[in-house]
Amino acid sequence: MRPYFEKMDNFGKELKQNKKNRAADSHERLCAVEADIEKKKSEILNAGFSTEEINKRGWMTINQRLEYLVEPGTWHPLHSLYNPLDNEEGTTNVIDGLGKIAGRWAVIIGFDNKVMAGAWLPGQSENILRVTDLAKRLNIPLVWLVNCSGAKLPDQEKFYANRRGAGAPFYRHAELEQAGIPILAGIYGTNPAGGGYQGISPTILIAHKDANIAVGGVGIVSGMAPRGGFTAELIEELVEKTRDFRATPPGRVETHYNKTGFFSRVYEEETGVLDGIREYMENMPAYGAMVFQVAEPAEPAFPAEDLYSILPHNQKEVYSFDELLARLVDGSEQMEFRPGYGPEVYTGLCKIDGVLIGCIGNRQGFLGKGYPEYADYPGIGGKLYRQGLIKMNEFVTHCGRDRIPVIWFQDTSGIDVGDLAEEAELLGLGQSLIYSIQQTDVPMMLVVLRKGSAAAHYVMGGPTANRHNAFTLGTAATEIAVMHGETAAVATYARRAMKEKDAGRPLDDVVNKMNQLAQKYRDTSQPDYCAHYGFVDEVVKLAELRSYLKAFAGAAYQNPRSICPRHQLLLPRIIKG
Amino acid sequence: MAEKVLAPLAGNIWEILVKVGDKVQEDDELVIIEALKMENPVYSPCDGVIKEIKVSKGEQVQEDAVLMILE
Repeated sequence: MRPYFEKMDNFGKELKQNKKNRAADSHERLCAVEADIEKKKSEILNAGFSTEEINKRGWMTINQRLEYLVEPGTWHPLHSLYNPLDNEEGTTNVIDGLGKIAGRWAVIIGFDNKVMAGAWLPGQSENILRVTDLAKRLNIPLVWLVNCSGAKLPDQEKFYANRRGAGAPFYRHAELEQAGIPILAGIYGTNPAGGGYQGISPTILIAHKDANIAVGGVGIVSGMAPRGGFTAELIEELVEKTRDFRATPPGRVETHYNKTGFFSRVYEEETGVLDGIREYMENMPAYGAMVFQVAEPAEPAFPAEDLYSILPHNQKEVYSFDELLARLVDGSEQMEFRPGYGPEVYTGLCKIDGVLIGCIGNRQGFLGKGYPEYADYPGIGGKLYRQGLIKMNEFVTHCGRDRIPVIWFQDTSGIDVGDLAEEAELLGLGQSLIYSIQQTDVPMMLVVLRKGSAAAHYVMGGPTANRHNAFTLGTAATEIAVMHGETAAVATYARRAMKEKDAGRPLDDVVNKMNQLAQKYRDTSQPDYCAHYGFVDEVVKLAELRSYLKAFAGAAYQNPRSICPRHQLLLPRIIKG
Repeated sequence: MAEKVLAPLAGNIWEILVKVGDKVQEDDELVIIEALKMENPVYSPCDGVIKEIKVSKGEQVQEDAVLMILE
């Protein structure tokens, strides 16, 4: 199959200076949004005690541990702004992402020991479930840096109970282990109760000498049976008990290394724990990159900086998706599947770091006369029509058969609507695409380049494809909402406006309400909002997009659950004809 | 030889990016037509010089209307 992949079709053209000039304002706006997002990420990374304060206590911070553990240049953070229940701490109190340890990709997550000694906070279990799902989808090890003081007790009602509450990750850990996915844990500090289960539920436990894990910690052991309230005398008693237990918290190394043997190893130094994880990672299942590479890795033929002149910040401006993709894939080469059919979407095979990836994205702009073929109105890119839906169904099905991971790029306003669209079976074809995706069982990721709207956000490999979507990225231009805010205002208030008008009443109130709703849509669809509430797993700079694609591709091919030999692939042959 | 630049779809002339006498290359953006809630560029079909501009900003045009003439 070498002739198929060593040199594929070139695409993309050098960007003209006048195009760059015209895009200068947009470029500036994209950079401004990126700078704002970076500032917010930095604030959260530096939440809680300062590094100096933590170091003074003899500990490393989570950031220092990650920096020591993860290979330089391979850390790809996720969920940096995720805080779905609006914690006052500004964080769910775990830091996670994809990174390489000992040459192997892992999903890595750790408690932020700068904030309430790594306590459970509202929204944290949802964050952890995203991370365990990611490890499962990519079939790569999960590495935990456990340092968890247990529940933030005053807020327990927000996260302790419920189906996806704080205990759910322990079941997910078991699920990963049953699926053959190892979980390595480096354990630091005091980890009582919930923290104890965070410590015990992974596969291999590597502890620092001062670490402890326990069913209950000082707070519980020293607690007394409820006596209907508190008095000063009781508090005096409590203080004495607490003092005793603080000296010897339960579940120390002498118990869980010497007696139970739960800890595989114990290290004197904090960095020793991380060295231990690295040594275990060297023994984790992973194919070398060469096994699945179909060609030598190559950089795109055009600079990533061009992306800022191609992707407009203005949602109404048209651009070339093909030009954008050419800035992201190896050698700016591709094999397009069914060009000319379903022109509103691109489907094709590309290489990222030398491995095959199926790419799907919305094309933009006028689609040419006579399309869609079932209607007498013009078709516009960003919308999905009959042929595009059929083409995506076919493409993902072939990717599933050939075991090729898929990257989706969304910039979609939705699926075509109206009687003609219904007659053209678009409702059925949209759901067929969901069925096709579900049937593939290959890792997928999504980049919401700009708009993610209506059902198209679901059917084009959106985060709602829970078992397949490994993670979703946003950009500085991302805007996710069921529809445009002004469209929503019309849908909500048009009838009321008519009634007010017929009754001879002034329209001021309706006008205000419509403007308020449109503004609310704007406020709740922007990149930082999308990241904060988890519509996307991370907003990344356009210049860093390819690096995330490489991380996904590398992780997806590290230890795939099933393989299609390259000489038995069908899709490239179908494309060749 | 004169070359007509036609509107690929009906819409509103949103922006005219060139002026008479400008040299343009194939695929350069000449006009933006607002239609279907999007700003759709009209590209130059060939290299040439703008000889005449037949529309003005804000004007409604029909599909296949002559937008400008290239030479």
